[in-house]
Amino acid sequence: MQQVAETIGLWGRTALFRGWFRAWLGLAVLLAGISLRAATFTATLDRDAIQVGENATLTLKFDDGKPKSMPALPSIANLQISPQGSFQNYTIDNGRSSSSYTYTYAVIPAQPGDYTIPTLGAIVDGKVLTSQPLKLKVVKAGATDTAGGGDQLAFLKLFVPKKEVYLGEICGVQLQLFIRDGVANAEGILQSFEQLANNSSPLKVEGCNILKTGYAQRRQVQAGNGNYTVATLVTAISPAKTGPITIDSINATLTLQLPTGGRRRDAFDPFGMFQQYDERRVPIAAEAQKITSLAVPKENAPANFNGAVGSFTLTVSAGPTNVATGDPITVKVQLTGRGALEALSLPDQPAWHDFKTYPPTAKIETTDPLGIQGTKIFEQVIVPQSADIHELPPISFSYFDSDKKAYQTLTQPAIPLVVRPGGVTVQPSVAAVGRPTQDAPPLTKDIVSIKQRFGAPASTAGPWLRQPVFLTMQGIPVLALVGAIVWRRRTDSFAANPRLRRQRQVAQTVRTGLSDLRKFAADKKSDDFFATLFHLLQEQLGERLNVPASSITEAVIEEQLEPRGVPAETLNALHELFQSHNLARYAPVTSGQELAALIPKLEAVLKGVQELKS
Amino acid sequence: MTTSYAKSRPMISTPAWAAVFMLLLLGCLTFTARAATDAGFDAANKLYEQGKFTEAAAAYETLAATGPVSAALYFNLGNAQFKSGHLGQAIHAYEQARQLSPRDPDIQTNLRFARGQIQGPTSATSRWQNWLGSLTVNEWTLLLVAAFWISVLSLAAMQWRPALKSSLRLPALAGGLATVVFGICLGLLWSAQAAPRLIVNTADASVRSGPLDEAKAVFTAHDGAELAIVDTKDDWVQVTASQHTGWLKRNQGLVLPR
Repeated sequence: MQQVAETIGLWGRTALFRGWFRAWLGLAVLLAGISLRAATFTATLDRDAIQVGENATLTLKFDDGKPKSMPALPSIANLQISPQGSFQNYTIDNGRSSSSYTYTYAVIPAQPGDYTIPTLGAIVDGKVLTSQPLKLKVVKAGATDTAGGGDQLAFLKLFVPKKEVYLGEICGVQLQLFIRDGVANAEGILQSFEQLANNSSPLKVEGCNILKTGYAQRRQVQAGNGNYTVATLVTAISPAKTGPITIDSINATLTLQLPTGGRRRDAFDPFGMFQQYDERRVPIAAEAQKITSLAVPKENAPANFNGAVGSFTLTVSAGPTNVATGDPITVKVQLTGRGALEALSLPDQPAWHDFKTYPPTAKIETTDPLGIQGTKIFEQVIVPQSADIHELPPISFSYFDSDKKAYQTLTQPAIPLVVRPGGVTVQPSVAAVGRPTQDAPPLTKDIVSIKQRFGAPASTAGPWLRQPVFLTMQGIPVLALVGAIVWRRRTDSFAANPRLRRQRQVAQTVRTGLSDLRKFAADKKSDDFFATLFHLLQEQLGERLNVPASSITEAVIEEQLEPRGVPAETLNALHELFQSHNLARYAPVTSGQELAALIPKLEAVLKGVQELKS
Repeated sequence: MTTSYAKSRPMISTPAWAAVFMLLLLGCLTFTARAATDAGFDAANKLYEQGKFTEAAAAYETLAATGPVSAALYFNLGNAQFKSGHLGQAIHAYEQARQLSPRDPDIQTNLRFARGQIQGPTSATSRWQNWLGSLTVNEWTLLLVAAFWISVLSLAAMQWRPALKSSLRLPALAGGLATVVFGICLGLLWSAQAAPRLIVNTADASVRSGPLDEAKAVFTAHDGAELAIVDTKDDWVQVTASQHTGWLKRNQGLVLPR
């Protein structure tokens, strides 16, 4: 252990290793996230009602996980379950990989009756997953089978698993097409028949809602002396009224192709590829079936029963469970089982009076093609209004079990909550129920009620992006940037050019010096006046001649200015100014006007010198 | 000795008085208009609370057509239409409310609830569209402009004070990156909102294979169904939803955006 600690300490001291450690840690978390995707296990039957002599297919499917061992198949009297096969599916969709393992079994009944395949358990990724119990109704082989079998090439049959159906219950009616072996175009006819599932249902039933149609796996049966292939369309129907309901008979005519018998082998067609057929038009008909629709009993109906019929289980979870008042909690309610999943709704929970509730959202995950078996998941946001709340009260759901012909109530225990006092949180107002009038059809659920304040009026000017003033304003930072870049270039250029810098400094000195001269002239300060005048001449001449200002004397006029072609007027004026400065040392000028008169002369001289090329 | 008579001048000039008067007049008019709007809004709310949803919807419609609008006004209009059984008009109003106040939980709840009532084919908005729609176009614009200004002004400051270059490099870079990201988001939202949609406001509207009354019905769009508009011809619009495409009469739906 100590060695490990030392090793980790060494890693911690090395920055390189620290970086690698973080990268590997991230990768490990990512991989863990991928592998932690929850595995699921579902068991389904392709049909919920069959006849003796037929078999149903039981499918066990494992998504995102491989079972360590297969579930132990139950031993059910008069029901044989034998393995058929298995396959594995691996898909990558939008970067998300998923895998599934599917195992199929043939379920063969020996006697009519109601069978239940109990909950199956399998170990996947170290966890025990269980499936829902499945029900299978097995009835006697109908007389029509034998009547229809034997000599008939094809026949049609309506099969209703239950003769009594409750309002709100869903019943799967089977339309079976039998075609005897040997019919050449059997495959095409069976495919066309199964494709009816993609269109509207061929069933005609008054007083029933026809929900969805799918097709079951084909099977082989023996009827009479013939072997038949059977295609089955299953249509989910739900009664809309009580009383007798008739599923109308169905008539059709098939054109069957039968190989011509006793035909000699043709020398030009040794393989029989151009074999000829006799076409025979065969009328087929399925007899009408009658069922009785019953209302669910009013006696013993639980208070929270809201019309659900079928067989369900209830699972509830909530999170987060440690919140402040006003914080939302999401309650997830899962109803799994068989029934009208679309119509399922959460019953009112009167015990939630201390919570503000929002309308729940719902989604359905079905496990059969008819969409009547699966899970409906409700997510409801609730907001605790008081810090005195310590639990989410128990949630209950009641339904009518049509097989047991009795009401069942499922209840999940209370979920502990920690609710802290929180700040004032403005929550949306919820669900003031409006009374529907005659011209407003009543709606089953409610919406959040109206707002009482008009609020801030919306701008009529349209989006800012369409307003020229706004778009123009966006030029400001660009102009600032351009200005800063130009300024920076000029500053850098100025810093790299000492002569230019001196030129500007001298220009500034001359400007302030001339101002001082006017002031000295007005104050009759002769000494200061001439000292400044001489200083300005030195600075300007020094800058133009590129020599130190202190080295400038009257002698530069002849030595440097004359050779450069400075006009004589300027040179004379310079002489005068220098001499005035010299004279003033001994005889100061006391007249302000005289001093002031020298300023224009100086300005003219400085201007002349400034024009001198450096 | 001369005597001067100074002409007494007003402390504020005539144009200034005129400006003040105009401002006061404008303020009074705005106040009066707002008071009238509030009164109309309250009256419509009263109709709603009395269960007169059709009348309330008409009152909200009048307010929306004649005066300033707000998210609350469209929200209440949506509620009144919903309660009147006009699902398409309710969704249309909720959508307008959502565009003004995209994060209002009441609007989100009712819009989701109303959409849950739609039967048959409809166009569902994708997750990224919902995410982008959590901010208005102006809010995305504000983010974009803020990032742009931060980035460009940081660059300008780096020119102005080279000593600050090291500390300004991060805001300049982050601002530039954010400008690109926000720009893409704004562009996507803009194009998504600019794409016209039609919300069916009749009970059952036959969507036909061509822009003719005699054309074969392809599918039926129910009240509230949201269909993307692909093309228009005369009084017909070509719409698509859930992999169904066909032609629908324009007067059978409400077009978004207006």
